[in-house]
Amino acid sequence: MTPLRFGCQDVDELAGALALGAVDADQARAAREHLSSCPEPHAELRSLLGADAVLAAGLDPVQPSAALRERLMASVDAMPRRPEAAMSVAEPPARRGWLDWLSPQLARPMALAGVGAALALAVVSVSLAGQLGDRDRALRAVASALAADAPAHRVEGPAGRGYVVDTEGAGAAFIVADVQGPLAADELYELWLIGPEGPVDVGVFRPRNNEITVIPVERDLSGFETFAVTVEAERVTAPTGDPVMAGAIGS
Amino acid sequence: MTDTAQPPDDALLAERLRSGDREALGELYDRYASVAMAVAVRVVTDRELAEDLVHDAYVAVWQKIDRFDASRGSLRAWLLTIVRNRAIDRLRGTRPSIEVGEADEQSLLRTGPNPTWEAALQQRSASELRHALESLPQEQRQAVELAYFGGRTYREIAQLTGVPQGTANGRLRLALAKLRDSLSLTDAAPLSVQAEPVRAEGIDR
Repeated sequence: MTPLRFGCQDVDELAGALALGAVDADQARAAREHLSSCPEPHAELRSLLGADAVLAAGLDPVQPSAALRERLMASVDAMPRRPEAAMSVAEPPARRGWLDWLSPQLARPMALAGVGAALALAVVSVSLAGQLGDRDRALRAVASALAADAPAHRVEGPAGRGYVVDTEGAGAAFIVADVQGPLAADELYELWLIGPEGPVDVGVFRPRNNEITVIPVERDLSGFETFAVTVEAERVTAPTGDPVMAGAIGS
Repeated sequence: MTDTAQPPDDALLAERLRSGDREALGELYDRYASVAMAVAVRVVTDRELAEDLVHDAYVAVWQKIDRFDASRGSLRAWLLTIVRNRAIDRLRGTRPSIEVGEADEQSLLRTGPNPTWEAALQQRSASELRHALESLPQEQRQAVELAYFGGRTYREIAQLTGVPQGTANGRLRLALAKLRDSLSLTDAAPLSVQAEPVRAEGIDR
């Protein structure tokens, strides 16, 4: 599967749609990748970004119910502002410091096209609670069944372990994760492929208790060296913390 | 909220939020809850659901204020983007297994505050902004509304409106360019826009 690639003209032609996030996920990714290295100013696109706030401000205001403010303040009183679990990792696995690969020059354009456009992420959960005493063997079995003996790369860390299964010619890959670490209600796990140009987000998921989760990876593994998982408060275009699981995927 | 789009001193408010000032969240609520509700109601057309979305968006702002970058846009724009994207997620139901909308990240679709849009927000009334949108040709306004309030891609808009993809994409670009030009209050932002049809083969991938 050849990833979509954009040139300057493609980005300029889609300026309006990009400014409103009205593009498909692969187009958003292609625009992001182009902008990450393009020296051109793309002034048309930049001049249209921000229009969405004007569209919102042009609506007739709608007063919320009187109770909503109290409900909001009660909610924030009852929760920590930022869960600490995502901020530190006891034993960071491989490639500690890879976040440094993201230079501001790279990170900012990566955010430009963003991942706000449509993302077709499917999460298939296979409930094996109480049926498998050996989780590791179960993981291998599921991975093997899915990929028909395709190579399985081990990924592990303080949050759990799993396998990245390279389906190669099928144009897809999967991670089968046995995630053990606690996850706050407003957090998710984000998947990263790491290559010479830094990490690329390839999916997010939230595991359910006592379930093995199979997540399609949104990009082919070729050209990448490491697979990693971070805890994020939302899907982001650059990781905000160290990996909670990681492993080499190169041959 | 009065009929004004002016955001008074959002940067200071953001700093107070970063410091954990609970009252700052209340002030943010008082400033923008009605416009946030307007966006949510417009998208999901259900007032009760809209209140849930607005509540959750404010909670997200409280929890994730460290991710807000004023150099990329205003606090109001960030908040409204979160509200809008969550509403779209709920409307389309495409990612039911993800509790926190990764679409919030669209709030990062900024290369810096755009002087035209920011000036329009600060100096134009809501009725003026509304008039600018209503002044667009009907097909362009429809395309913008399907994209922003309906969460549709230009390809989906093309299908829904029965026009080629290049036409739908061109309508979005021309609509935003017209809005930009009609709302321009400074010399900093406006850029010329080519009005010729968009090269269809370039985007019909």
